[in-house]
Amino acid sequence: MAGKIKMMIDSIIEQRAKNNTMLQGVIKTKLMLKGIDPKKYAPHSNDDPAIISKLEALVKDFK
Amino acid sequence: MNIVSAYSSEESVDTAVQDLQEQFKHLDAKMVIYFASSVHAPEIISQRMQEAFPAAAVFGCSTAGEIAMGRMLKNSVTAMAFNAQAISEVEVAVVENVQDESGIEQAFASFEKRFGAAMLDLNPRRYVGIVLVDGLSGAEEKLIEKIGDLTDVTFIGGSAGDDLKFVSTHVYANGKSYSNAAILALLKPGTEFSFIKTQSFNILPGKLVVTKANEASREVVEFDNKPAAAAYAEALGIPVEDAVGRFTHNPVGLVIEGEPFVRSPQQIKGSSMLFYCSVVEGMELSVLESTNIIDDTRTALDEAKAKLGTISGLVNFNCILRTLELEQKQTTEEYGGLFADIQTAGFSTYGEQYIGHINQTATMLVFK
Repeated sequence: MAGKIKMMIDSIIEQRAKNNTMLQGVIKTKLMLKGIDPKKYAPHSNDDPAIISKLEALVKDFK
Repeated sequence: MNIVSAYSSEESVDTAVQDLQEQFKHLDAKMVIYFASSVHAPEIISQRMQEAFPAAAVFGCSTAGEIAMGRMLKNSVTAMAFNAQAISEVEVAVVENVQDESGIEQAFASFEKRFGAAMLDLNPRRYVGIVLVDGLSGAEEKLIEKIGDLTDVTFIGGSAGDDLKFVSTHVYANGKSYSNAAILALLKPGTEFSFIKTQSFNILPGKLVVTKANEASREVVEFDNKPAAAAYAEALGIPVEDAVGRFTHNPVGLVIEGEPFVRSPQQIKGSSMLFYCSVVEGMELSVLESTNIIDDTRTALDEAKAKLGTISGLVNFNCILRTLELEQKQTTEEYGGLFADIQTAGFSTYGEQYIGHINQTATMLVFK
């Protein structure tokens, strides 16, 4: 499987920032400080279980 | 004035608190934040400060040096009082076991009750948070990350110090002193506010990718699949034996949109490197090179003044490593002078918080 990480990151940013560019930047910064660089993931990136697990934990709080 | 700063270098707690009380007597204080040298007994200063301002939300922490309007201090207490025009609402919560994330959720529940809105729904342009945390807890990363997960409100602050004794640090609220704890304060300022995050470094071309780390102990075992200390030295073009001597001048940083979030090396342990904040596997770090703290801080203050028009008050969380560098270069007076015309309270921290936990940085909350 591939592309799940990019999909999850995009979903988190979209849901949380709601098109607010300032918040989009802050959320990307928060992700990078957790070791998840949004720029590194494309639709064909491998589904790294460790990163997916981090993102799943985030989704719970980011709602 | 709606925001007034003061300091006291009186030796006795009672006299110092009376001194502050006298300086704040013309202000009907709704909130008082203070930073006290570890020479003052934690339980006593926290109790006396609350007693001195019974109608106000009073909170603070111990320090590794204090910052007041126009000067850097030692063995003192610096404080800032806000009236209801400056801070229209405030709620203070204590997270007693800072490693336990449920404490943050409980604190946030108290904020939601007070402000009548979910933390995720609060407008980050109208609300701001202050975080003061035990500087020896090693828990700052998880704390600020969890806060950031639960709200869009910016929390800014610092890790408490103990004048470089590294024995125990304290945070203060409700007339009590706490260790292994954090104070979270949620403010609704009556005025516009902004943030300064300033660090004095150039970003060098050298990059180090963390390939093996023990995040909990802030240890990097390998950069680029090589022993961390050797890889760091190689990036600087120096022998490993000289690496420790370069830590302050050449920390590393996670660069986001051209802005470094500094990670300061603490020591070499075997072939690993220990840092003052957590470094995560997969992180690409840039090697940094120190520049001029005075010039860079002046620029940051000028930018904040230009943005807000005026500055009515400033809370400065300044890394102890910056303070040590200023002392080494005998420029503490010059640094203090940058704040000579600004109501200022702050302290030398064991770590700074702004979005994340960072090192060798000054984070400042600035009120218009």
